[in-house]
Amino acid sequence: MPILEAQNLHKSYRQGKTTTDAVRGVSLTLNSGEILAFLGPNGAGKTTSIKMIAGLVRPDDGWVKLDGLDPHKKSRALKSIGAVLEGNRNLYWRLTPLENLEYFGVLRGLSRKVARQRGEEWLQRLGLVDKRKVTVQTLSRGMQQKVAIAVALIHRPKLLLLDEPTLGLDVEATQTVKTVVREIAASGCAILLTTHQLDIAEDLSDRVAIIRQGQVIAEQPTRELIRQFSGTSYNIELEETPDPETLLRLEHVGATAKANHIFVRGSEQLYDVLEKLRPLAIQEIKKDTADLTEVFLKLVQDT
Amino acid sequence: MLALFLAEVRRSWIQFIRYPSEAIIGVFISTITFYFLFTGASYVAGPSGSLATADGAERLDVLVIGYVLWLLMLFVLSEATNSLEGEAKTGTLEQIFLSPHSAVTVFLLRALAGMAIRLLLIAVNLGLILLITGSNLAFPPLLVLPLVTMLMAAYGFAFVLAGLVLLFKQVRQVLGGLQFGLLLLIGAPVENFSGVAKVMALMAPMTPSAGLLRDLMARSEGLDWGMLAIALANGVVYLALGFFCFSRAERMAKQRGLLSGY
Repeated sequence: MPILEAQNLHKSYRQGKTTTDAVRGVSLTLNSGEILAFLGPNGAGKTTSIKMIAGLVRPDDGWVKLDGLDPHKKSRALKSIGAVLEGNRNLYWRLTPLENLEYFGVLRGLSRKVARQRGEEWLQRLGLVDKRKVTVQTLSRGMQQKVAIAVALIHRPKLLLLDEPTLGLDVEATQTVKTVVREIAASGCAILLTTHQLDIAEDLSDRVAIIRQGQVIAEQPTRELIRQFSGTSYNIELEETPDPETLLRLEHVGATAKANHIFVRGSEQLYDVLEKLRPLAIQEIKKDTADLTEVFLKLVQDT
Repeated sequence: MLALFLAEVRRSWIQFIRYPSEAIIGVFISTITFYFLFTGASYVAGPSGSLATADGAERLDVLVIGYVLWLLMLFVLSEATNSLEGEAKTGTLEQIFLSPHSAVTVFLLRALAGMAIRLLLIAVNLGLILLITGSNLAFPPLLVLPLVTMLMAAYGFAFVLAGLVLLFKQVRQVLGGLQFGLLLLIGAPVENFSGVAKVMALMAPMTPSAGLLRDLMARSEGLDWGMLAIALANGVVYLALGFFCFSRAERMAKQRGLLSGY
């Protein structure tokens, strides 16, 4: 059974006489250990969708099941969910990291002893043991974000909602958060990730869903989607520029050269070209691969 | 439930002791305010209305009780609304709504947990005022009963305001206007009213409880159990009304997508 099933979610907001359709028929499914990157431009309906999944916004139509339970009808369903929402730190600033972890653990149904024990484990895991006695407000943004993620996971939910988890973090903190996200997924927790940092989405996600104007316009495994938008040509970089004789041989097999860069149209010619290049030293062979940013822009702008 | 209550007690206490200066300054300012009100009132009343006479002493005691109860009610109301506004800004409010406990349960336990600290601060406040004015109030253990009924009605009111915060984000202006209404409710001498006015006063929130506290503490009279039953009914009705309004507001906020974006 999937951890998350959201079917045909609809939500409209009325402001004065104007009605805005924020979400129009969004359906998402997420299995244990899977990371789904939920991407879209600002105002596309990501946050509303996530909040409907979390039980914070009531859908006009459609339904959500978290581990088989509807969070809008059974509050027990919320035990399956953890969330770091909207770039907020979601923490009590006057409490220390451990005090926050202990409090939120109990709020999520753990005993104090278990919450404290897991809190200590999280601080150890996130390298924050030396910060256990300082208030959250004095921590760096990256450290606050790590604590917020730990707080969301203290009750070991089956689904984690992460809204912009690396926003405003430095390189090192971003790497730590990425590592933590991978480890959490590896432990079996399903993760629904939204971010505008598409390189991070590409790096972390198993699947991608792209939403535009309230509708999901693409949903596929990340590698598959990127492959579809990638070309078939290759770029070979040599250590030095080939002599004119070699260049002529390359032209015969359909390759073009510019200084020490050789362009090959398809995989059929690749081995012919490599044969002609022998014994020149090759620096790099690279396939023309799109990245998620290109895919995202093409989908969002073309549709 | 007990574990959550104890967690709320710890959270409130830690936040209080970590920044005690805020609370101490609050107590100091409210005591000074009372002192100026008190000396101002004495000056306006002149020698004929002196608070040094027997009648005057009772009036002073009534004044002190009214002021301290007013402060307590303000604490209850402003804490509920301010903390909700603050939590909405830092994102902890959403985390509360993500808990398997109902929001009403969490906020009720929170109110109970914060009560001990509030009562402690009010006791310090009262002690300072008694020291300044020379007022001589009685503190029979039975005063706990009307105090509880009063707090029930006050928390009912606080839940209504908290519901408004969920829907309208800020209710500071409402709270500002309500301060004077509270003075009227707490100061209304229900014990001296009769007829329709008495019935109206008994139905008004907190008013019967305040009358009982005046009788017990300023006039050293025994507890009127009949009146206590009315005060209890008053507290129960307003608390239930508060829960109802807050639950409705939560439902509307989820419907309109208002549990964020502060």
